[in-house]
Formats: sequence, C-alpha cells, structure tokens
Amino acid sequence: MSIAKILEIALKTGRVTRKYPYEPPLLTSEFRGAVRIDPSKCWGCGACVKICPPNALALRNSGKEATLEYFVGRCIFCGMCAEVCPAKAIEVTKEFELSSTSLENLKSRVIHRLTRCSSCGSLVWTEAELKSVVKSSPIAEEYAVLCPKCRKSKFARAASIRIGVGSE
Amino acid sequence: MKDEVRTIVEKIGGVVEEVKKSEIYVRIPQQTVRTAARLLYDSEAYFKTCVGVDEREVNGFYTIYHIFGLDSQGVDIVLKVLVPEEDPQTSSIVSEVPAADWCELEIQDLLGIKFGGRLTKRLVLPEDWPDGVYPLRKEFRYDEKPSRVIREELHEEAGIPVGPYHPALHEPEYFELYVEGEKVVDVAYRGFHVHRGIEKLAESPRFTYKQVPFLAERICGICGFVHSTCYIMAVEKAADIETPERAEFIRSIVLEVERLHSHLLWIGVAAHLLGYDAGFMHAWRIREHVMVLAEYLTGSRKTYGINVIGGVRKDLNVDKIDKTMKTIAQVREEFKKLADALLSIPQIKSRAVGTGVLTKSEARALSVVGPVARASGLYRDVRKDYPYLAYGRVSFRVPLYTEGDNLARLLVRVEEVFESIEIVKQLVDLLPGGSVVVEEYDIPPGRKAVAAIEAPRGEDVHFVITGLGRPYRWRVRAPTYQNIPALRAMLRGTPLADAPLTIASIDPCFSCTDRVLVVDIETGRKSFIKLVRGG
Repeated sequence: MSIAKILEIALKTGRVTRKYPYEPPLLTSEFRGAVRIDPSKCWGCGACVKICPPNALALRNSGKEATLEYFVGRCIFCGMCAEVCPAKAIEVTKEFELSSTSLENLKSRVIHRLTRCSSCGSLVWTEAELKSVVKSSPIAEEYAVLCPKCRKSKFARAASIRIGVGSE
Repeated sequence: MKDEVRTIVEKIGGVVEEVKKSEIYVRIPQQTVRTAARLLYDSEAYFKTCVGVDEREVNGFYTIYHIFGLDSQGVDIVLKVLVPEEDPQTSSIVSEVPAADWCELEIQDLLGIKFGGRLTKRLVLPEDWPDGVYPLRKEFRYDEKPSRVIREELHEEAGIPVGPYHPALHEPEYFELYVEGEKVVDVAYRGFHVHRGIEKLAESPRFTYKQVPFLAERICGICGFVHSTCYIMAVEKAADIETPERAEFIRSIVLEVERLHSHLLWIGVAAHLLGYDAGFMHAWRIREHVMVLAEYLTGSRKTYGINVIGGVRKDLNVDKIDKTMKTIAQVREEFKKLADALLSIPQIKSRAVGTGVLTKSEARALSVVGPVARASGLYRDVRKDYPYLAYGRVSFRVPLYTEGDNLARLLVRVEEVFESIEIVKQLVDLLPGGSVVVEEYDIPPGRKAVAAIEAPRGEDVHFVITGLGRPYRWRVRAPTYQNIPALRAMLRGTPLADAPLTIASIDPCFSCTDRVLVVDIETGRKSFIKLVRGG
C-alpha cells in the first residue's frame, strides 16, 4: 500500500521545521553573510571596489575626504573583497537578517582624511594609506608626502646634484 | 585529429583554421553552409548552438559560428561563416537543422544579420524595441537605452495580458495552447521576458575576467554553479590555464551536489503537479540535507561563489569530507524509500505513462539535451561524451529510456540521483592532494574556446572569445533553450490536463508560477490555468 509507505516515512521523520526566529537559524560554520569593514584598519586603497562584482562597494572622493561606502542591498555575499584586502580590514560575518525600513540603514561608510602634497598642494591619497606605506616600505617620509610628480622631480634634482650634471 | 573526424572535415570542405584538442574550426563560404550543416547532421553530429559575433574590429566581418558536437568522437566542429558588413545577410540552416531555429533568430535580433530562406520573427527583443538597433554590435554601449517605439495592435487577439507579464513573477514566460475540446492541437511560445543582456554586460568595461564568474552564476537560480564552471572552463581552455587536479575534483563534487538538489527539487515539483503534496514535501525535506551540505562545502546554499579562474576558493578538509559522506548516505537511504513510495502510487503512473511523448526522431532533429534526450532513447551525456574536470576518472551509468513520455523523464531523474551519489563517493575517495588554485596566469586576446557541461537539465554550452581584460564575446546556451522547442512536439495531441506536467517535465528553468493561456478553437473562449514549478 502506497499510503502506508509514505505514512511510515512521515511518522519516522517527525517534525523537521524550526521555530525560527524563536530558535537559532540553521547556519553552518562556513556561511558567508554581510561584510564588515574595520575603519581602524582600512587604508582606502580601493582594491575591494575593483574586485566587487555587483558594485556594492564604492569609493568617492569629495576633494576633502574619501568615502568608502558599502551598500548591503547590492551585496552578493561572495566575500571577494575580504580576500583581496591588503590591510585585512574586511571581515565576512554571518549576518543575514539585514532587512530594514530605511535605505540609509543598508549603507555603512568609512571616511578617510586626504593628504596633500607638501610641495605643490595637490591631492596625494588617504592619510591611512600614507601611514601604512611609510610603515611597511623603506621610504623616507619626506618623499611619501609628495605627489608622484613632485617626487619624481625631487628625485631627479637630487640625483643630478649627486652626479653633477644639469646643476645651475 | 582522428581519422573519422578527418574524413568528415575533409568532406565539409572549407579552410581548417584551427585544430585544438576538442575543437576544430572550419571556415566555409556562405554558399556551402547549408550542405555542410546537412553533412554534419547526417554524420551523427548534434547541433549545439550558433553564435553571432561582431568581429569587424578584428577582420572586418560579422562572424557566425555554428557549433556542432560530434558526441561519438568527443569533438566539436565549429563552422565559421563570414558575413560582410555592407550586406549583412546569410543563408539559414534551419531547413537542414531544425535545432538552429532559435539561435538564428537571436542573431538576427541582436546583431542584425538577416537569414535567407526561412520564416523570421522577433524572438528576443521586446516589441517596443526600435527597429535597426542591434545591441550586440560593438558600437552599441552596454548602458544605452534606446527610446521605446509604441506599436499599435501588438497582438492579433485583443485582450489585456494578465499572468505572464505579472510584475511579481520573476521568471515569466507565456504559452498559448490551442485546444479542440480537451485536446491540445498546437502550441505557441513567447519567452525571453527576462532577457537581461548578460552577454553584453560581460564584454562591457564594467566587468573583468575575474568578475564574470559571479555574473555567470546568476544566470540560473538552480544550476548557477554549472554556468560559472562552464564559463571558467571556456576561459581556461582558451588561455591554456592548467587548473590543479584537486580543484577539478572539488568542482566536480560541487557540480554533483548541485545536481542532487536540482533533481530532488524537480521530483518534488512533479509530485506536486500530480496532486501528491506529501511527496513534494518529503522530496524537499530530503533536498534540505543537500542544501545544508552545499552551504558547508562552499559558504552558501545557492550561488556558491567559490569558482575563480585557475581553481576554487575553498578547499575540502577532513570534516567536510566526513560530512559529505554522511549526508549522501542519508540522502540515499531516505530518497530510496521516497522513490519507492512515489513510484508505487498507481495514479502517478497512470498520469505519467504515455503522456507528453517525444519520439526519438523528433528528439534527434531538435538536438534536445539532458534527461529529455535520455528519456527519448538518445544516449547523450556530456560527462561521458566529452569527459571534463574529474569525470573521466569515475565510473557511472547513464540511465536510458526509449518511451519518451513523462514517466521516462521522471525515471531518468530518479536514477540519476543515485548515480550522482555514487559519483560523489568515488570523487571523494580519489581526491588528490595539492593546491586548489593557480594565482599566476595570462589570458591573451583573440583566442576561442567552446566548453560544455552536463547541467541537471542537460548540456550547457559556453563559447568564449578572449579580449583585453574581459571576454570579447561570451555566448551562453542554457539547456532549456534547446529543450523548449521540443515541447511543441510533446504537447500536440495530449489532453489539456496533462499539459502542466508535460511542460514541467523538461524541467524548464524559467518560472516559479507559470500561467498558460488556453484558447478553445471552436468557441474562441480564453481562460488561464495555473502551472507551478520552481525556477
């Protein structure tokens, strides 16, 4: 009897649904949810923005500050940003209960102060990136605070003085 | 090149442009394309798809690639036809190869190449799209929005379109069944309501090679991993990137896990359509184990997101292997009982036996794929015919039925569930060590490759021409694209009550709730009936 067969399965299985949200959700240890950006670690380099497939991350430059914005409404939870982040500032959380009545709640921002070239005053990049570069590579700070153009000309001048050509 | 293949290629004539391990590109003049297609179709080649490419920047022509799969030899023969820019016309091969119907119309819509010697109509573009604007031409920007053209009298029959255009349905499509009393006499299909221009998007500056897998994964909500793997395989083939063996095994394991979930989903839906909701719920309960396993292996229940060019992002460890073995053993045991119960119900048998029959010759002419082909007596399985990834290393059976009815398609899928479980077991046993991804690779522009994967619904084909930083052209042919035209043959002459099950029996990948417009030929009365399936 076919009905007896399915009854047997049903009786043996019992109830399988959970009383979510009154019980914890069924998540495995590998689950990927929304990402969180640690503002104290982020440099504002933009590597995450470049890799993000749905453009959930954006970097805007107002001239005074650079803003890294994460819009969870576009996020596909692939976690590629965390993988490419050189500062290890992005963490993939297990958060998935993300709905909200306001669009603003779906956005989070990291605001970076920008530095200017000490010689010509044009924009270099974020202070945080400058600090991390000085910390991690053998570059003198007087060079690091220059924009690439001024840095080049300063280097050329110094080199020419040393080898004694083109000096006025 | 094997001798058998060489003979066929020599008979076709034309210039052999490129010979690769599993692909041969032959350039032929427009005048002989029809005879060449006939010859290939008679030499047991199946038609995979055709691709239109705007290659004017490269060689000054529009190019059409007709991809034929010589299943018995595991080789794709690609006919390349050049179409001049000033006179974009070529001859159609539909009279020889009926399966080429849709892709020719698609090329005509998107690239503006006219096909002589066949009936033409608009297939992909919406009715309000202006004439003479062809989105796949390179001068058309990916984010361009041409102004709408309001056309009067779009439909011959007056009426307010309700149902298929319903805003709440995310994958709508539209069938018109013409009935005499209770018998279906003809079927008209109108699809592509959700054409998203993904192929155009992937070749736009908005995307890079590394990002496209995530886009590809979103082509389908059920078998997304198939698409991302297939895209990556095509790119890796084109650029000769050697993927680590371990990555290939992991991809194969995840592909089979995906097949398990897809088949269990379909079996549940089929039970539901037959009015057997207890079976539906139990099939989906069993499927839930597979979903949890998928999340544990990849990080997500669906759209796994672990595929990158050169390998995978997540490795397997002892715990994951252990969980995989436990889950598939449990699924096997529970599914066996359920399949037993399901197939012993006399009402299910009587609803499925002899309904929606697709004969072998019709199946052959339309080059149908997957369980639909295997239920109609065609021995076709990409995993066997063109062994890819780790499938050459495992042994499994390909279920084959000759009846071609709904029951045969149900049985093929039921048996494939057990075969998939066996494949996963073997793959886990054979899993080699080593790394799972190569970081360093180079993708030179101008290379071509065809990749195919056996998706749960049949053969999925991706064709890639590499460009700078992103694909120059990326063509996707999902299995349902090949199978929907077969519905016409299946539905003709069947009672109306069997139509929902028959439409669902090809496991179409388009909609959660379908609606069918029924037109009674004698009275002209119209009514909607509801179809349900997952999509």
